[in-house]
Amino acid sequence: MRIRVAMAGLLGLAMGSMALPALAAEDPIKIALIEPFSGPVAAIGRDTLEAFEFYADRVNAAGGVLGGRKIEIVVFDNAMNAEKTTQQLRKAIDQDIRYISQGTGSNHALNIIKALKKYNRRNPGKEVMFFNHSAVTTSFTNELCMFWHFRFDHNVDQKVAALTTFMNTDQDVNKVYMINQNYAYGQAFQKAAHKYLKERAPKAKLVGDEMIVPFGKVLDFTPYIAKIKASGADTVLTGNWGPDATRLITAGANAGLKVKYYSIYAGIPAAMNTMGTKVSTFTPIIQITESHENDPDVPAWKVEEQNDWLAQYNKSEYVDRFRILFEMMVKAFNEAGSADPTAVGYALEGMTNRGVKSEAWMRPDDHQIHFPMVISHVSTDVKRPFIYNGENYKMAYKTDGWIAREDMLLPSSCKMKRPRK
Amino acid sequence: MDILIFSLFNGILYGMLLFMLSSGLTLIFGMMGVLNFAHASFFMLGAYFAYQISKFVGFWPALIIAPVVVGVIGAIVERYGLRRVHKFGHVAELLFTFGLAYVIEEAVQMIWGKVPVSYHIPEVMNFTLFSLYGLEYSAYRVFMLLVAVSMFVALFFLLTRTRVGLIIQGALTYPNIVASLGHNVPLVFMMVFGLGCALAGLAGVLAGNILGTEPGMAIQLGPIVFVVIVIGGLGSLNGALVASLFIGIMQTTAVSYDVSMNGFLNVIGVQVDFDSAWRMLVDLTVAQISPILPYLLLTLMLIVRPRGLFGVRDV
Amino acid sequence: MKTLLRKYGVWVAAAILFAVLPAVFTSNFALTLLCKMGVLIIFAIAYNMLLGQGGMLSFGHAIYFGMAGYCSIHLLNGMAEGMPYFPVSLFPLFGALVGLVMGIAIGYVSTRRAGTTFAMISLGFGEMVTAMTLIFVTFFNGEDGIQADRWVGPEPFGITYGPQIEVYYLIAIWCFLAMIAMYAITKTPFGRMSNAVRDNPERAEFVGYNTQRVRWLAFSLSAMFAGAAGSLHAINYEHIGFESVSAIQSGAVLFMVFIGGAGHFLGPIIGTVLLVFLDSTLADYTEAWLLYLGLVFVAIIMFAPGGLAGLIVMHEPMWKTDVRLLRKLFVPYLLALGSSLILLIGAIGIIEMIYFITIIAVGRVDMHLFSIPIKVNEVTPWLVCTALIAVGVQGCRLSYPKVAESWNDAMIAVKARIAG
Repeated sequence: MRIRVAMAGLLGLAMGSMALPALAAEDPIKIALIEPFSGPVAAIGRDTLEAFEFYADRVNAAGGVLGGRKIEIVVFDNAMNAEKTTQQLRKAIDQDIRYISQGTGSNHALNIIKALKKYNRRNPGKEVMFFNHSAVTTSFTNELCMFWHFRFDHNVDQKVAALTTFMNTDQDVNKVYMINQNYAYGQAFQKAAHKYLKERAPKAKLVGDEMIVPFGKVLDFTPYIAKIKASGADTVLTGNWGPDATRLITAGANAGLKVKYYSIYAGIPAAMNTMGTKVSTFTPIIQITESHENDPDVPAWKVEEQNDWLAQYNKSEYVDRFRILFEMMVKAFNEAGSADPTAVGYALEGMTNRGVKSEAWMRPDDHQIHFPMVISHVSTDVKRPFIYNGENYKMAYKTDGWIAREDMLLPSSCKMKRPRK
Repeated sequence: MDILIFSLFNGILYGMLLFMLSSGLTLIFGMMGVLNFAHASFFMLGAYFAYQISKFVGFWPALIIAPVVVGVIGAIVERYGLRRVHKFGHVAELLFTFGLAYVIEEAVQMIWGKVPVSYHIPEVMNFTLFSLYGLEYSAYRVFMLLVAVSMFVALFFLLTRTRVGLIIQGALTYPNIVASLGHNVPLVFMMVFGLGCALAGLAGVLAGNILGTEPGMAIQLGPIVFVVIVIGGLGSLNGALVASLFIGIMQTTAVSYDVSMNGFLNVIGVQVDFDSAWRMLVDLTVAQISPILPYLLLTLMLIVRPRGLFGVRDV
Repeated sequence: MKTLLRKYGVWVAAAILFAVLPAVFTSNFALTLLCKMGVLIIFAIAYNMLLGQGGMLSFGHAIYFGMAGYCSIHLLNGMAEGMPYFPVSLFPLFGALVGLVMGIAIGYVSTRRAGTTFAMISLGFGEMVTAMTLIFVTFFNGEDGIQADRWVGPEPFGITYGPQIEVYYLIAIWCFLAMIAMYAITKTPFGRMSNAVRDNPERAEFVGYNTQRVRWLAFSLSAMFAGAAGSLHAINYEHIGFESVSAIQSGAVLFMVFIGGAGHFLGPIIGTVLLVFLDSTLADYTEAWLLYLGLVFVAIIMFAPGGLAGLIVMHEPMWKTDVRLLRKLFVPYLLALGSSLILLIGAIGIIEMIYFITIIAVGRVDMHLFSIPIKVNEVTPWLVCTALIAVGVQGCRLSYPKVAESWNDAMIAVKARIAG
């Protein structure tokens, strides 16, 4: 909890002396975490920080990296404002922090990538590395790719491709209705879905393709439910998240609409809790994640970690990619023998790391992570129900199947310019 | 024809939800000339209180207690905040409620955290009452409709058939004369503000479990209730009802009839090149732009007829 | 010479301040903040032309700021793709033109009414434009916004706008010019008329002025300066996103102007500098930052509608007649400040502890409050904070009447001096 010490103690810090005093062992490796820590979506930033602290504490307890250097997480609040992300990035760079991590909001990640492209070109020898833990815009590892960006989450195209791969094996999927949010991410989802439904789930017939105005502006989804019903669809494929997802599914359940939902974010814990057990299990809400606690294949070491996590935060662990990020990063520091981002970048390229199902692999061509993903649905019939802040949700995820790492492979248009070693 | 009847019915359900949300606001607006920016925040408070209270004693007591608590908070805000600001004019009052919305949102996050809470439809009413064209309607939806209708009837009688209502009506038009007749106008103001907030709280109790109870709900709902009361007309309960139904039906039918500008142009024989930038413009379906329409209506209404459809006094 | 200095001394001082600031605050981050402040100062003063000078409360003024930003970014990108060159240094003029055109158009319909109607119309327009950013993707590019490179075209005098310091001086020069221009406007007959229309439209109408025209002009001019600020904003970040046209930016500028003080020319400047600084420092240290901001805003509306500038300007008569009068105020002020501080510490302590329990570390008990390690499940810290609040409230009760009393005394003395 060193960060809290610094936070509370430095309330009245003056502008000239922004550097945090080193509280740990000499010369820690600092990682700037730029996330929303205030405003309505701050819970995401908070959860991310907990994950970072969890793994950083483990690394530090085990003696740190590079023969005793500790890892220190420095928090920067962007208040979910993309311009503030740029501003906080400059602040982090100003404190000589060479590692940036961010993931909430693709537009924020885009700003960081664009800014670092310029900064790294203009400041050779002082390059800054960006570890993207959750921003899923496909172009980041395609036309926008750069050497100093590594993505530890699968992009939208990969997730949609995986979902459609699984849909092809699902007996219940015949007629698919798509409903997406009309903004960058929703449009990307829609485009990818069109492509991969044709390629990977040729048996599915598309019977509807709807775009809605995003971010909770639609209060009543009943007319959409009526349209879905009228189309005769048995499956709804949606990229919706937040109220746009929960209201859709709640309205569907209340209207007795029996369809399967294939989604990325519709069944995340917060959504599950908003909808309640009855709505969440009325029809299968299927999603794609890295791992979950009730999967029968979870190895012993992961179960142990999940238990530690629960004991420490009173929350169930939900994502696995932060672990992959930290384990790979530590390996890369030690392999590179330095904390220089360029050397660490080369060490990360092509690296493999243990995974829940099988190994994770950082593709060197575009710096995109690849690992198997699990398809699951929300169920009350589980051994370990989901717990968040001590509250038992009385439901969790049940595995439907796994998507192999090979099926996550998609071609990339990335032409990366590499720095000199 | 089926679609039309069906959309109409859904539109009425949705419209009555909007009416529930906005009736308290129009009351305050009409009575005091104060546009309560924090109205949706009181709505949110109602939902959160209902969640908390129903955790302990169940939904039915919460249905009564939560609005009362919200009403009391509203009255306190009026007595110690708004009244103080009143002397600085309407702009200051507007700013005060704007700031208040901000504070309430943060306070809610402080107390209940930043993730949505699990506030759900009560089990006793979570059954299908009837179905229409294959869609089921739960008893709770119908209950909401009934409450909204009785809210309208009760308010209507309160305002037009009771002594208190007459004073309120009088104070709306001639505050000074009502005051000189010996009525305690500030007290009336406080009661009205409290009542308005309580109505918002009641709407929160009823709709929080349908829309999802989370800290962002006030921001999402804020603007739409303004649209309703402005179009309906300042302080006009009937106006708010008509405007709610109008917007509800309009949005619902817009979704049901998925028409785009391009479809229309094709009919009249104009073809737009697929790659041109204009394509995107004409390809917008009414469903996609339907959430802008209320704001367009709002602005047009204010410019052309600031007193709204049924209002008696300009904004 | 002396009168000249008195008249223009402030501006000379401001110019010197603008010039030397980067030499004092050398870090990149400080430079980033200074740039942001410069841009927002223009925007805030422009907004105050509307709110403070004209009495029009707008909830959608970011439209002109943001649209000018979008147009500037498109111009930058267009130049990179071979459109005729337009000097980057003159971009604010382009932004001002965009703002002016939009201001004239939207102002024409929205300034026909004042007061609440005007505020509601501005809200409607704001919501519409925000919604459009997601719908008209070709122009706005949705939530991603648009990126650009300001390092484009020829390099007059070797200025590339690559380094941030060059951008700072660009912003500083334009900020300085805009400040002079906007100050000058307040001194023109039009500026005075704008005040008259704010205070008493009937009378202004009676003297023969078309109040709608006056509001329209004020609105258009304000939109013009907001546009200039918007284009500088775009150059500064080399990016423009939907936040810049949305209620987020409109609300931010309202907070800055009102907390700083809408009644005085200096108010927006004070508000901007203070809020930009706090927003980028305090926000990293406390989760409750937005709550504090909201509470301060509400408190200012209730107790000091003149804002911070209003509080300062209150003392002008004493300062002008006899500085010694201010000395008498010193002790009561110190007492009032002290008790307010005690109250604040107690309140902040409680808020931070609640935040810790509900958000930061559900289920954990060890936290640091003002660097003191405490356990939130024990009674002591809560008792201490409550006691501090009680002491603070009592102190305020005793000291604030004294402040009012001594201020009144001082004012009486001032009046006596003037009369005598």
